[in-house]
Amino acid sequence: MIKFYTTALLLMLCIYASAQSTIISGTISDKADGKPIAGATIVEKGTGNGTSSDLNGKYTIRVTNGHAMVVFSSIGYETVTKEVTENAALDIALYASATGLSETVITALGIQRDKKALGYAIQKLDSKAINEVKSVNFLDNLSGKIAGVTITPGPTGVGSTSKITIRGEASFTNNNPLIVVDGIPINNNTPFNVHSEAASGFQGVDFGNGAAEVNPDDVQSVTVLKGPGAAALYGTRASNGVILITTKDGSNTKGLGVSFNSTTTIDKPFKLPQFQNKYGQGNSGMFEYNDGLGGGINDNISYSYGPELDQGILIKQYNSPVTLPDGTVIRGGDVAVRGNASITPTPFISHPDNLKDFYRTGVTSINNLAIASSGDLGSFRLSYTDLRSQSYIPGSNLDRKTAGAHFIFKPIEKLVVTASASYVNTTSDNRPANGYGSENVNYALVAWGPRSLDISPMKNIWQPGLVGIQQYSFNSTYFDNPYLTLEENTNSLNRNRLFGNVKAQYFFTPKLSLAIRSGIDYSQELRVFIRNFSTNRFVNGAYAEQSLYYKEINSDALLNYSDKFGAFTVDLSAGANRMDQHAMSQQVQALNLAQPGVFSLNNAASPLEQYEYLSNKRINSVYGLAKFGYHDFIFLDITGRNDWSSALATPVSAEHTSFFYPSFSSSFVLSNAFRLPRIVSYAQLRASFAQVGNDTDPYQTAGVYNGQTPYASQPTLSEQSTIANTALLPEKISSLEFGTDIRFFKDRLGIDATWYNAKTVNQIIQLPISATSGYSQQVVNGSTVHNKGLEMVLNIIPVRTRDFKWDANFNFNRNRAIVGDLPAGTQRLTLGYNRIYDNIDQTVYVQVEEGGRIGDLYGTGYKKTADGQFIVDANGNFIVDNTLKKLGNYNADFTLGFNNSFSYKSWRMDFLFDWHQGGIVVSRTLALAGVAGQLKETEYRPTDGIVIQGVVNTGTDANPVYVPNTKAISAESYYRSYYDRNNEENSVYDASFLKLRQVSLSYSFNAERLSHTFLKGVKGLELSLIGRNLFALSHIPHFDPEQMASQGNGFVSGVEDMSYPTTKSVGFRLGLNL
Amino acid sequence: MLQNKFIPLITALLLFTACTKKLESINTNPNAPITASPDLLLRQVEYNFGENNSYEGFVAGNVLGQYFTMVDFNLFDRHNLNSPQYGGKPWTYLYSNLRDNENLLIQSQTSAVSKVYEGPALILKAYMTAMLTDLYGDVPYFNALKGKSGITTPGYDKQELIYTAPDGILDNLEKGVTAIKAYNGIQTLNGDILYGGDLSKWQMFANSLRIKCLLRIADRMPVADKLQAIFAEGNYIKNSSADAVFSFTDGPPNNFRMATLRIGDFDLFILSQTMEEIMNKYTDPRLATFYRPTAANPTMYKGLLNGQDASQTSITVANYSLSGKIFRETTGKLKANFITSWETSLLLAEAAQRGLITANDKQLYERGVQGSFDYWQTIMPATYLTTGAAAYGSTGTDKLDQIITQKWISNMINGYEGWIEWRRTGFPVLKHVAASLNQGIIPVRMPYPAEEAALNADSYAAASTATNGNSVNAKVWWQVK
Repeated sequence: MIKFYTTALLLMLCIYASAQSTIISGTISDKADGKPIAGATIVEKGTGNGTSSDLNGKYTIRVTNGHAMVVFSSIGYETVTKEVTENAALDIALYASATGLSETVITALGIQRDKKALGYAIQKLDSKAINEVKSVNFLDNLSGKIAGVTITPGPTGVGSTSKITIRGEASFTNNNPLIVVDGIPINNNTPFNVHSEAASGFQGVDFGNGAAEVNPDDVQSVTVLKGPGAAALYGTRASNGVILITTKDGSNTKGLGVSFNSTTTIDKPFKLPQFQNKYGQGNSGMFEYNDGLGGGINDNISYSYGPELDQGILIKQYNSPVTLPDGTVIRGGDVAVRGNASITPTPFISHPDNLKDFYRTGVTSINNLAIASSGDLGSFRLSYTDLRSQSYIPGSNLDRKTAGAHFIFKPIEKLVVTASASYVNTTSDNRPANGYGSENVNYALVAWGPRSLDISPMKNIWQPGLVGIQQYSFNSTYFDNPYLTLEENTNSLNRNRLFGNVKAQYFFTPKLSLAIRSGIDYSQELRVFIRNFSTNRFVNGAYAEQSLYYKEINSDALLNYSDKFGAFTVDLSAGANRMDQHAMSQQVQALNLAQPGVFSLNNAASPLEQYEYLSNKRINSVYGLAKFGYHDFIFLDITGRNDWSSALATPVSAEHTSFFYPSFSSSFVLSNAFRLPRIVSYAQLRASFAQVGNDTDPYQTAGVYNGQTPYASQPTLSEQSTIANTALLPEKISSLEFGTDIRFFKDRLGIDATWYNAKTVNQIIQLPISATSGYSQQVVNGSTVHNKGLEMVLNIIPVRTRDFKWDANFNFNRNRAIVGDLPAGTQRLTLGYNRIYDNIDQTVYVQVEEGGRIGDLYGTGYKKTADGQFIVDANGNFIVDNTLKKLGNYNADFTLGFNNSFSYKSWRMDFLFDWHQGGIVVSRTLALAGVAGQLKETEYRPTDGIVIQGVVNTGTDANPVYVPNTKAISAESYYRSYYDRNNEENSVYDASFLKLRQVSLSYSFNAERLSHTFLKGVKGLELSLIGRNLFALSHIPHFDPEQMASQGNGFVSGVEDMSYPTTKSVGFRLGLNL
Repeated sequence: MLQNKFIPLITALLLFTACTKKLESINTNPNAPITASPDLLLRQVEYNFGENNSYEGFVAGNVLGQYFTMVDFNLFDRHNLNSPQYGGKPWTYLYSNLRDNENLLIQSQTSAVSKVYEGPALILKAYMTAMLTDLYGDVPYFNALKGKSGITTPGYDKQELIYTAPDGILDNLEKGVTAIKAYNGIQTLNGDILYGGDLSKWQMFANSLRIKCLLRIADRMPVADKLQAIFAEGNYIKNSSADAVFSFTDGPPNNFRMATLRIGDFDLFILSQTMEEIMNKYTDPRLATFYRPTAANPTMYKGLLNGQDASQTSITVANYSLSGKIFRETTGKLKANFITSWETSLLLAEAAQRGLITANDKQLYERGVQGSFDYWQTIMPATYLTTGAAAYGSTGTDKLDQIITQKWISNMINGYEGWIEWRRTGFPVLKHVAASLNQGIIPVRMPYPAEEAALNADSYAAASTATNGNSVNAKVWWQVK
């Protein structure tokens, strides 16, 4: 009825106006960049008369003749009111809202929203925050900058995978956020090579995660949708939050803009282990090298319990000279050519810097050139980036070339076509192997690198005359020459990837539009694994090739209608999406080669082994979104989505594939509704309730028989050890979130706080079952996890004068994922583990129990009394206790990122601290290098032995009587048992740290200043000194506390598994705009 | 105009949503089949079990049986059986192979074209079950392997029943023979890497295994009549041509696993003093087949007492013998052993010597010893059986000791057989290890794996109680001495 009257009134006005009215028309644009503003509202004050600007910012309105007051407004801009008296062309430039009160953000499905209308937490980083101090892995650029986002770097230097979680881990199986570039998901997987967990065969190699390849120079902004409330529209894969990346386009560039950015950093190991330098290789104080195989005295082992160093004694060593009968001088370790010639003993001395000197100085340079332009028909931006990183790890590097393009095309008034794409080529000559074992040089140099070892002679890798056939090494039992491992036995990589999308949006009317989009992420990769003859794991060499292929296509359509009814705004959308994913991995290997030095499958001397894995998945979805607003202070969003996931289908039934989930969110802008005290410049309350389903990987619903080792080239099949579930349900997360955004003193102090409580039910569990059932695990739905947390973002501008500004930004997060219940009869459930080889006694378990937290680590330790004292036996030795004990939790109690930015005239200085309080890390370096007597902790070796601080039970097991232990055991026995790798409890560290994450000092020249120099005509020049991971306060003397280990085809947090040091970088950046 | 534009949209939406039908085929695993043909299962069980059992024999059975000692990472050698560094957990591969074998058995009993597999599957089931219960004692058996029927916490069955009850070991062996005899179909037994599908040899395998199992429980049950009947029928493995074995190769993928480990892993295993003394007593040339001379002296073989504490004692490996080339460089000469003619001969020799059958024990002993030398491709010295300690019944020797010790020597890498027979007979006399972690007692059973306490708690509780808290010193039912 109201509508009828309004329409009638409008008609009457029109009739009236046609007789006697004023027409104004013009363009509405952004004052800052001149970019047209589409959808701006133009209203004649005091009448129902109004219109909106079109895509090009153009509008026309008829207003009352005489003296109409016309109001121009748009989300995110300050409102302008003009008095109009006659027909006119009136171009209006709007200022971006100074209070930040109307910040626009990109939300799910690429929809631009006014932040004040959102009922859930969202946080945005602009391009500067990403670009200033670039890291080679894109995800590392987010560290410490967003409340609730945790990034953990990988263990093998440049090119490693970084793990990202948002609001902690609430799922037993899948905690990966969805990464979206320009509206289309991209993959963030880390496909490993086919590898063996035993002490033979290839070790696992991490070739990097998918999202590492997003190019920071092309990124305009990153928006993080933290909870399911923010992410419901992306469906099942968004259950762990979404990282929305928007790439730069050319629409802001008037004329032709050229920019050049160059960053060069010098990279060093962040921290190296602290060693003892008093005792050298050997056992019981004795050592003499003969053949590194036990032919000498203790030369087959690599413990440092040998003779004291720097005492002037001479000992035969692997690098001591040998004079052959013909007068040639070779090295002791040139065993193959030495014959009976004797080794001349050389001084047994310490080499305190042997590891430090082993690493070289890494150099990373990133150069980006971009051109952009815009015009009437649209805009474009083309960019090329060349990244070259030579790792500080000898032989390891990463090169990445990225070509990016972004086009916006407006062929006709109502149609906008956009296309963006990135082509990435990543290559590496060698990616170091992960974890414990001889393919990781930390095995030979840290865990078992005796302190008398001079590493540098091994740079000459081969024994004389035996290039490619017989390596020269300090010990031939388990350890390869580290230079052979890194420079000759390579795991190389060449990956080509294309991701991008095309989108067409048609405006039937300014209120009704349809967008159709299709995007792809396609990659193809070849990895080549080379192993030379005499390699410990491959005596006759080996060669393998792995090809990988990945394709994901997302196509969607979204119909949108928005309108305004008086004080009400309504925005309705409906859409549908199809996701198709295909992945393939194929590895072919020859484990024996015929001819040394020839690396080809043709050179195989044993039957080729072949592994192939294909994976297909489809998700069909339909969704709807309704947004309501009233008077610019109360907003309500309702969403609903239904997914059909192939992963929940069985080969014969699609019965359980469909799942629906809704969300509701509301925002109440107090400061728009009420008159608040003057110091409050903005106040918003928000609330949301959302559900999201989380499906699973393909092929969990039907069991198969897997091919095993063939015999005499004839095939075999064995039933899989997991019992599949034919009625698998998706996990369901229900999340409740409340938040507030309050700003004071004209926005100089702002607090954005969010409390959330999510409950995950129907966890998809690989439930371990007794091997006596014939199977080792069973896929079931069950268990509940409660994930609660608090996020706070504090922005302060303590000082702001005309020339000087100090900006501070704090990001705080505290998260707890508590397990509510487990399947009946299950006391504890293993979610993951990290293991030395395939030995189940040398395992750190990630397990959950009822009431426990996700991230609890378990391992074994020695027997202790209730109050934590060691119980030792009558001989003064530790007593093995094979029961699993809770060691702690790998998650921090809280994290706080603290960014300060100072600007003075053209100077700017930024530094970002990252504080993680609490959490533990279990260290293999401590355990192994401790057992072996390499670490500083093992330097104290009194001749009368060490008395274990503990008690002896002189009573019975039932009625213990404890008296202090007084029996000493030898120092060697003490360290070998204390750090024994079967007992994880003694190698636990508090992982807390305060790290100086990044620093930059920059100076910018503007065009005016440059016009007086030879750079006349240059629009802008910025020079910066930058640093990354410069320093940390931590309890751990030997390595960076930020650690994760790989196991199988995934990663385990909280375990340091012979990792390479992380990177400390300092460098220089130049930014030039022409 | 507007309506026209909606048509493609609506069509598109329908396309998106209507195609759920195809989701089934998308989630059909393209990598592997959902059924397995019986020949592939049979080959899998034979190869996988044989390969695992031989590796297990080398790294764990040989250590417990004092063929080898380990110089480092040797908690297992010091009789902490819960913390082996290599192998030492046969539970898993025993049950997984029993599972694959059970699938084969069910297929053979439900599909007429697979009927030929029934006999071999029953015999393999009995073979692997005997190994399982001999190691652990009471184990889940009658309700085991039924995870897909919802039984994930099967109870532990008494060893006595596992051996003697219907569907137990002895019953299945008889049923296996019956099934083979009754088989008159035209399908051949494929995938058989032990016998190439020769069903008559499978009957011999079954009967040899019956002899072995009857002797194993002979201290508990009257077995003489059955043994005599089998002996009288004579359809057991008499010649090496009927040995249930398969050969490893020199190169991958079918080489012995020790060939692919790093030299340091291989060099951890050195000659046990127990073996050294016995072989020297017999001046037995098989010593040179199993071991290599010391690095320090190429004419000397030297062993070390088991169970040294490596952190207290500096051991120079060059002074001790390591294991022989047959386990690394020339594994093509090595066989995975299920059961052989020499083992059968020595079993019968024992039965005859103990009066359980009427037969010439000396002849059987000598046939067994000769068979063993042949098996290990070593030339038996001409006087080996006539003079010296190996001559049957020579002065100062115990015949049973001779028989069992010969079997012990030949059982090198044959799972845990050497140690199992020591538990039954006390021969050969094993030594107390240097630095025992088991109060100086040589263990007499393998401990149940720790996972059982967590995953099969109620059933395990009873089994644990019955073994004095899962003690490695608790005897299994058949061990009387």
